Amino acid sequence: MDVKFAIDLEHVVRIYRRDEFEVRALDDVTIQVPEGRFVAIMGPSGSGKTTMLNLIAGIDHATSGRVSVGGEEITGMKERDLAAWRARHIGLIFQFYNLIPVLTAFENVELPLLLTPLDKAERREHVETALRIVGLADRMDHYPRQLSGGQEQRVAIARALVTDPTIVVADEPTGDLDAKSAEEILNLLTDLNRQFNRTIVMVTHDPRAERFVDTVYRLDKGILVGIEDGKGGPARAESAQAQA
Amino acid sequence: MKYVALVLKNLTRSRRRTILTIFSIAVSLFIFSALVSLPAVANQVLADSASSERIVCHNKAGLAYAMPEAYKQRIAATPHVVAVTPESWFGGVYHEVSDQFPNLAVDPDTAEAMWPDWGVSKEAWKKFETLRTACLVGPGTMKRFHLHVGQQIILRGTMYPLNLTLDIVGVMRGGSAPPNFLIFRRDYLEEAAGRPGLVDVYWVRVDSSVDVPRVITALDREFANSSAETRSESETAFIGSFMDNFRTFFRLAEILGFIVVLTIGLVAANTAAMSIRERRAEIAVMRSIGFPSGTILGLLLSESLIIGLAGGIIGCGAAFIVLKIFTVGAVALGPLSDIRMPPSILAETLVVAALIGLASAWVPARAAARQNIVDALRMVA
Repeated sequence: MDVKFAIDLEHVVRIYRRDEFEVRALDDVTIQVPEGRFVAIMGPSGSGKTTMLNLIAGIDHATSGRVSVGGEEITGMKERDLAAWRARHIGLIFQFYNLIPVLTAFENVELPLLLTPLDKAERREHVETALRIVGLADRMDHYPRQLSGGQEQRVAIARALVTDPTIVVADEPTGDLDAKSAEEILNLLTDLNRQFNRTIVMVTHDPRAERFVDTVYRLDKGILVGIEDGKGGPARAESAQAQA
Repeated sequence: MKYVALVLKNLTRSRRRTILTIFSIAVSLFIFSALVSLPAVANQVLADSASSERIVCHNKAGLAYAMPEAYKQRIAATPHVVAVTPESWFGGVYHEVSDQFPNLAVDPDTAEAMWPDWGVSKEAWKKFETLRTACLVGPGTMKRFHLHVGQQIILRGTMYPLNLTLDIVGVMRGGSAPPNFLIFRRDYLEEAAGRPGLVDVYWVRVDSSVDVPRVITALDREFANSSAETRSESETAFIGSFMDNFRTFFRLAEILGFIVVLTIGLVAANTAAMSIRERRAEIAVMRSIGFPSGTILGLLLSESLIIGLAGGIIGCGAAFIVLKIFTVGAVALGPLSDIRMPPSILAETLVVAALIGLASAWVPARAAARQNIVDALRMVA
C-alpha cells in the first residue's frame, strides 16, 4: 500500500545570518510524516524546532533542500502564492495564542474564513462548528481578555481548524498554560487527530506531550538526532532518516 | 465589504488615540480650508462681478486723488461710450465707528444703465432717480444692521464733516452686486458738502467689450497733460489691482495653511507608526494565517484613510459654518467681505485629508505588510 506523506522534508538546510555570523538552524534534515499522524518535534532551546515548524508552515524559506507539504512542493513558491497556500492548507497554533484583542472569539475564529469565498451565513456555520468542537460554543461573544489562558488557546485551535486545513501546526501550544489546562489542550489535539484524522505537528518542551503523540522527532543543534515512538501510538513513519 | 468590520474594530483599539488624531487633523484642516478660501474667494469675486463692458477711469496719481466733475461730458462724448457714472467715496459710519461698510455717491440718471446686473427692481431705480435722499443697500448690510426698505438712516461722515439722512428705497440682490455696499445720490452729497465738484472714479460703459481697449486709450489720451491725468482700466483689471493689495496676505495664508497641514501630517505619521508598530506581531499572525501583504496594506491604509477623512469632514464642516457665521462681520475686506467656502475648497480639503491619512500610514503600513513573519512572531515570544 502506498503511504501518502503529509510532510516530506529532503536535505533541508536553514542558515540565518546574524550580522557577520552564520547560524545553521537546520542542518541537512530529512523526515517524512505520513498523513493523519500526531507528531512532536522536541529538543533543547536553539535546536531548530521552531525553524523546522516554520518551514513546514510555509512562513520561512529553506536555504537549501526541498519542502513538500500536503503533496505540494512549497520550496520555490512566491510569497503571494505561499500566503494563499497557507490559507488553504495550514492551521497555526501559537504558544501565546496570538488572538486579535479587539475581536471576539467568534470574530477571531472567523478571521481565516475572510480569505475564502464563503458568504456570511456559511462563515457563521463554520465558526460555530469549530467553537463547538473546542467546547467554547457559549463563549463566542467574549473578547480574549475575558477568557482564561486555556480558553484563549482553545479559540486559537478553533481558528486553526475552521478552514479545515491539511495540517495543523502548533508551536509550544501548552508552553504558557498551567498543568491542568495543558493536559486539556493536549487531549483536545489528540481528539482532533483521532476523530478527524488531521495531521498535527507540534513543537514542545513538555515531556508530558510524549504520552499523546505517535512520533517524536528529536533535534539538537539543528540536526535530527532521533525518531522515537510516542506513547500515544506506534510510530509509522515509513522513511524517516536522521542525518547526523 | 467583509473587511469593513475588521477595519472599524481596529479603529476602536485605542479610542482616545483615534479621537485625538481625528481632532488634530480636523483642527489643522479647519485652519487650512479657512486660509485657502481667501484667495479662492478673491478669484471668484473677479470672475463673478467684473463686467467685460465696464471701464474704471480714475486719477493717474491714485485713487486718493479726485478729478473734476466736468470730465463727465468729455467722457460721454468719446465714441462707443454709452453711459458715464461719476462716483464719490463718502466713507460714512452708521451708529458706531465700528459700523463701517462701503458707501458711495453716484449720479442717479445713469446708475441703472451702468449696473443693470445688480438686481435692483425697476421700481427701486425709479425711486432712486426721483427721491434726492434715496439709497440702495446690499443684502449683507441690510442683514447686518437689521434694515428694511422704507427705513430712514443717518450716515455720519468721517471724511466729510457732515451727516446724511438717507431713505432706503431698494436692495441690490444681484449675484454680481457688492453685498455690503450702499449707494446714494451724488447730487445730494454735492449739495450738502458745498458743491466741491470733485469725483473719485468715473464708471464708463461701452457698447461692446471689443471696444474696451480702444476707449481706455482714448480716455487717457483725452486727459493727458491736464491737471488731473487719468488712468483707465477694465473693471476686471481694476478689481484685480484691488485684490493685488491682498496678494501677499493671501500667499502668506496659503503658506501657513500648508505648514499647518505638513505639521499635522508628520504628527499623524508618528501616531500611525506607533499604532502599527504595536500591532506588528498581530499583523504577522494574520499573514501567517494567509492574509496577503497587499490585503494587510489595504486594511492598514483604510484605517488611516478613515481617520483622515473623518478629520477632514469635521474640519471642513467647522470652517464652512464659521465662515458663514462671520462673513457679515468681515467688511474690512471690502469686496471679499462675502467669504464663503467654495465647493472647490471643500473638495480640495477632503483630498488633502485623504492624502494625510494615506501618506501618514504608507511607510509603516508597507513595512509591516512586508515584514519577515518569523522575525515579527519572535517579538511575541
